[in-house]
Amino acid sequence: MKIISIELYKLRHKRITLMLILFLLVEIAWTFMATSKSISSNPENATWEMLIAIVASINGLFLPILTAICVSRICDMEHKGDTLKLLLSTSMKRGELYAAKYVSAAILMILVSILQIFSIMIFGIMNNFKESVPLFLFVRLLIGTTLTSLIVIAFQQWISMAVKNQAFSLCLGMIGGFIGMTADLFPAKVRSLFIWSYYTGLSPVTQSYANEKIQFIIRDVSSLIPAMAALIVVGICIYMVGSFQVSRQEI
Amino acid sequence: MNQIIATYNLSKRYGDTYGVKDVNLSVSEGDIYGFLGPNGAGKSTTLKMILGLSRPTSGMVTVFDKEFESNRNFILSQTGSLIESPSYYGHLTGLENMRVVQRLREVPDKNVLEALKIVRLEKHKDKKVSKYSLGMKQRLGIAMALISFPKLLILDEPTNGLDPAGIEEIRELIKSLPERYGMTVLISSHLLSEIEQIATTVGIINNGVMIFQGSIEKLKSKSSPSIMIKTGDNILAHRVLRAKGFSLVRNDDFLVFEGLTDENIAQVNRTLVESNIDVLRILEHKKNLERIFLDITGKESSL
Repeated sequence: MKIISIELYKLRHKRITLMLILFLLVEIAWTFMATSKSISSNPENATWEMLIAIVASINGLFLPILTAICVSRICDMEHKGDTLKLLLSTSMKRGELYAAKYVSAAILMILVSILQIFSIMIFGIMNNFKESVPLFLFVRLLIGTTLTSLIVIAFQQWISMAVKNQAFSLCLGMIGGFIGMTADLFPAKVRSLFIWSYYTGLSPVTQSYANEKIQFIIRDVSSLIPAMAALIVVGICIYMVGSFQVSRQEI
Repeated sequence: MNQIIATYNLSKRYGDTYGVKDVNLSVSEGDIYGFLGPNGAGKSTTLKMILGLSRPTSGMVTVFDKEFESNRNFILSQTGSLIESPSYYGHLTGLENMRVVQRLREVPDKNVLEALKIVRLEKHKDKKVSKYSLGMKQRLGIAMALISFPKLLILDEPTNGLDPAGIEEIRELIKSLPERYGMTVLISSHLLSEIEQIATTVGIINNGVMIFQGSIEKLKSKSSPSIMIKTGDNILAHRVLRAKGFSLVRNDDFLVFEGLTDENIAQVNRTLVESNIDVLRILEHKKNLERIFLDITGKESSL
């Protein structure tokens, strides 16, 4: 806990929260525009399922980039000030530092996801969606988004800590955003190889085109469990390999 | 006196070459140990291995008579350090940087303020460190190392980037630490003049190999003076003196003798006068430590 609180203390003056909120506002605005357009073309689309499917899809574009920026800012300060030797010579262990950075990034990204969920709930209520707020679907959306973000954080942190030049990790974030946005266009087997595709892959609602009409289908919880389990295993592996590799680097 | 740091055949290999080879360094309690060597000699690598920041290829380090690996936390809790360039968070103020270290070390507020006062940064503590000059960053690094007033202080080239007044100030500070706070100080530098004035013990490393270790007096004792004599005819004088069994070399306008006693000098003078060679000057040339250092390391240009 002490190291996590120090990690959060070190983020002072970085304006990281402001940056996250601004980025989130852009994403929410985009979501609302896309949803409003869909509703105006077909008022029957004014459903929570449609809103959740759009949010998951837009998350695929925005969250990998936002995660890359957030993680990069958390890791970059150690490179810039050459502070690893300062921290490690005060008896902090590299593994602890790595974990504290991971938890800090995770806290921020989970807060972003929660804020997002609340804002879309408010949007749905303000647009007089017929059904009541489907809390269970929102909880499932939050779990899917958070789980995917946690894996993306592990991957981004590895790159951000291992490579001083943060252009690499930011580029990776942009590539992730592109893959996340277009993931549904890939064949299922190819799609499953990319961690960024799970923003939509673990969404409780999926889109399907039938008779030139979009349908929003609620997925079975059980159908997502194998993918979630696999993702957790992959995430743990990425974290462990990253932590091990960074710990072996010479100062 | 207790041994605070000891390394046993400490080595660090990079590929096929050794950065540090079989270094046996020994620092006693209350010492100000000057660790000298030209740039790239292996000073920082050795210090990093002592602090556990770099893994030795072979050899062992003990600090406070304890093996490092199994007593890491204890050793580091009693050690303050500044390695190479100062480490800092540029987006935080000087005080906030100190707070980070304070939280890590779990020391009271008064230590933060006292350490800042010692390095004369208390007036700049609310300024962002990215706006600090190099000298101020260096002072902040020293303050961070001092924050817990540790038993052992390891400073790697702490006066880098400081102006002459700052160097003098830091020198006085380091000199006072063993007495004021009971600290043992290990300080590295490539400048002998800097170490000469504060160190009680000196270690000289060159090309990764420790080539001298001992008291500063022992180092100074290596400076036996040479006698330089200028005559009216150095070529003839050289020949005459060689014939009399003296060992000398001709150097520019002088004849240079090593290790002559006063009687020898009188004898040389008498020989020259008897041979009708005018003796113009007899000079005693004492080697300063800088010269000894250069002689020992065999490096002149890279210092």
